[in-house]
Amino acid sequence: MYRVLQRVFGACVRVPIAFCMSLKTLRIEWLSNVRNDLLAGLVVALALIPEAIAFSLIAGVDPKVGLYASFAIAVVISFVGGRPGMISAATGAMALVMVTLVRDHGLEYLLAASVLTGVLQIIAGWLRLGSLMRFVSRSVITGFVNALAILIFMAQVPEIMLATPTGLGMIVGGLAIIYLFPYVTKAVPSPLVCIVALTALAIWLGLDVRTVGDMGALPDQLPIFAWPNVPLTLETLQIIFPVALTLTAVGLLESMMTATIVDDLTDTSSNKNVECQGQGIANIASGLVGGMAGCAMIGQSVINVKSGGRGRLSTFSAGVLLLSMILLLGDWVARIPMSALVAVMTMVSIGTFSWASIRGLRELPASSSIVMAATVAVVVGTHDLAKGVLVGVLLSGFFFANKVGKLLYVGTATTDNGRAREYNVVGQIFFASADRFIASFDYKEVIERVRIDVSSAHFWDITGVNALDRVVIKFRREGVDVEVIGLNRASATMVDRFALHDKSDGVELLGAH
Amino acid sequence: MADIVHHDRKVLACVDKSRFAHFVADYASWAARGLNVPLEFLHILDRHPELSSGHDHSGSLGPEPQHALMEQLIAEDSVRSKIAREEGRLFLSTLRDRAMTQGISNPSMRQRYGELEDTLVEQQGSVELFVLGRRGESAQSTGRDLGRNLERMVRALQKPILAVTQEFVTPSRVMVAFDGGVVTRRGIEMIANSVLFRSLPCDIVLSGEISNSASEQLEKARIKLSDAGMQVEALTLPGDPEREIVRAIQERSIDMLVMGAYSHSVLRRIFRGSRTSDLLRAATVPTLLLR
Repeated sequence: MYRVLQRVFGACVRVPIAFCMSLKTLRIEWLSNVRNDLLAGLVVALALIPEAIAFSLIAGVDPKVGLYASFAIAVVISFVGGRPGMISAATGAMALVMVTLVRDHGLEYLLAASVLTGVLQIIAGWLRLGSLMRFVSRSVITGFVNALAILIFMAQVPEIMLATPTGLGMIVGGLAIIYLFPYVTKAVPSPLVCIVALTALAIWLGLDVRTVGDMGALPDQLPIFAWPNVPLTLETLQIIFPVALTLTAVGLLESMMTATIVDDLTDTSSNKNVECQGQGIANIASGLVGGMAGCAMIGQSVINVKSGGRGRLSTFSAGVLLLSMILLLGDWVARIPMSALVAVMTMVSIGTFSWASIRGLRELPASSSIVMAATVAVVVGTHDLAKGVLVGVLLSGFFFANKVGKLLYVGTATTDNGRAREYNVVGQIFFASADRFIASFDYKEVIERVRIDVSSAHFWDITGVNALDRVVIKFRREGVDVEVIGLNRASATMVDRFALHDKSDGVELLGAH
Repeated sequence: MADIVHHDRKVLACVDKSRFAHFVADYASWAARGLNVPLEFLHILDRHPELSSGHDHSGSLGPEPQHALMEQLIAEDSVRSKIAREEGRLFLSTLRDRAMTQGISNPSMRQRYGELEDTLVEQQGSVELFVLGRRGESAQSTGRDLGRNLERMVRALQKPILAVTQEFVTPSRVMVAFDGGVVTRRGIEMIANSVLFRSLPCDIVLSGEISNSASEQLEKARIKLSDAGMQVEALTLPGDPEREIVRAIQERSIDMLVMGAYSHSVLRRIFRGSRTSDLLRAATVPTLLLR
């Protein structure tokens, strides 16, 4: 009896202990960097407020939609995300995609689209679509961020155009504070100083300027759960599905990009598929508390890491502090002049743009510059980052196929005293090189036999094999006996049994050329 | 010098900057001398990417903020790495000198980044014996948690592990905790073939519920060891193994315990407890864990 009790007691003690050992990771991710995480969370929360307001205005909804979204997304993703220390909230990239939906159908449809986006992102995570990011080349990513920067700036242009001379002065002054104040002290966020200074100035001088409060409602209570008020019909789905699909793609793209950046900055790794699903859960949560869909933010994540944020606590506290400040200081937030917001967003756009890519236009290969420029052009033209990335990825594919298609060499030698000729084919034969392959043979030569050795070549697709058929037919028409050798080895690449070549053999296979 | 033998295998002494380092070094030197294999000291440099030293709360994004931040973080990390590397090197050289005074001709040293467990698993192909410090009953005060990690580590490794707790005492009497199972039977084989214990008197102890087959195995083990030229005594101690073995260790002034470690699954350990862990906790003598 004692023995049994001892066992039962032992189990009661040990099961929680085993559970606690798996909690070790949780402890590291939440509690190892508390002070710096909280401070960074505060800096990020302060930076998020103007951005969330500005992005709401881009999407065409009340500031509270972006603020509730930023709160919900940041808090939820801090628990379920795959990249500790990354900041997710309402973003410009997502806001741009929503404009038409909001204009034509209103807020409730946006909330429904946010929820659907979340569902699609969870499915994408299950399907491990995060790995598709490897097809998005460096140039496409650069094009993405440049386009984003340009669109964020373009969203500020109407406000700049509308501004009075005083307003313009305030914008310039605000920018000066943002960029110069860090030289005085880095203890206080300079965008905050800019906002406080311009707000104080406007109130003190009684300036008649447009304020955040003029742009729409701010949050006045804690977010409440509400199912989007849309009819659950096929028609609704037809309206929101295309937008949700684009939001899914854009959100995951920017989140994966940001995760990689944070990985590099902190020299740690992240779980991209967990992050995909986390983004989905966060967007569902956001849609259900009256917020718009969002994703990870490159700029804010950089600010977080710079301020010392590393753990999940930084993201969590950013979300909680953001909403607390809005609820406590809502009346003051409403009096922030739009010029202060424009100054902050100009900084965000300057910080997002990859200035090195302009120098790169001269120094990098033309193909990479074309991919980058095409991505930017399509995004700026359509306001749809997903379309731009798609064009960029396709173009990179064309350029790559074109380059690899050039890896083809056909050597020849006569044999048997000029009665026969041997062709030795080395290289890659596929759709992009098939024509060049066919043109490499001399069909006009008067000869008895031709031997084509393709054992050092690779046929990657049907077009390649078909090209070989055509070569053989052309020779046979001239009454030449054709012998093809090494075809089995050469066409092994086509049958998609790549696993065979995944190992060192595969390297040898391609390295041989 | 024609009789130099090139061994692949080595004794790997895993040290951290705790007071165990010297014990580990001494026991590792003893084992390397006995086994006549090279000795290597391994020091794991911890990296703490989850910690930050944030002091820039300016919250603004200059042009190319990522690039600027990356440069700054690389600079900070590299300074930290260089300091840790140099400190570790000095720490290892003192242990190396200590081993050399104990007759090890040319102990090598190695520093690695990463997690202890992963590193040891990586290294185990070229290791004959691991020597680790373990937090015993008397050493609650040390901050390092090799003790807590010991089980996880032992489970991950396939090579024998010498877990030491105290100041080096040249082992003079060995006890094998024998359960008749495959692991300890293989262990007996190993002891019979090993030069490490050949000159030491050895007790083989069978405890717990004594079955006939286990008694038979015990007798076989005794014969095997005495055939190997060892002075052996076989004991049967019915009762609670933990208590009986610990008492025998004290009464017979044993200074090294040999036992099979964690031959059961984690699940079983969670629900029924582990004899290995219980014994390790109770016995304060250095313990050779066989896998």
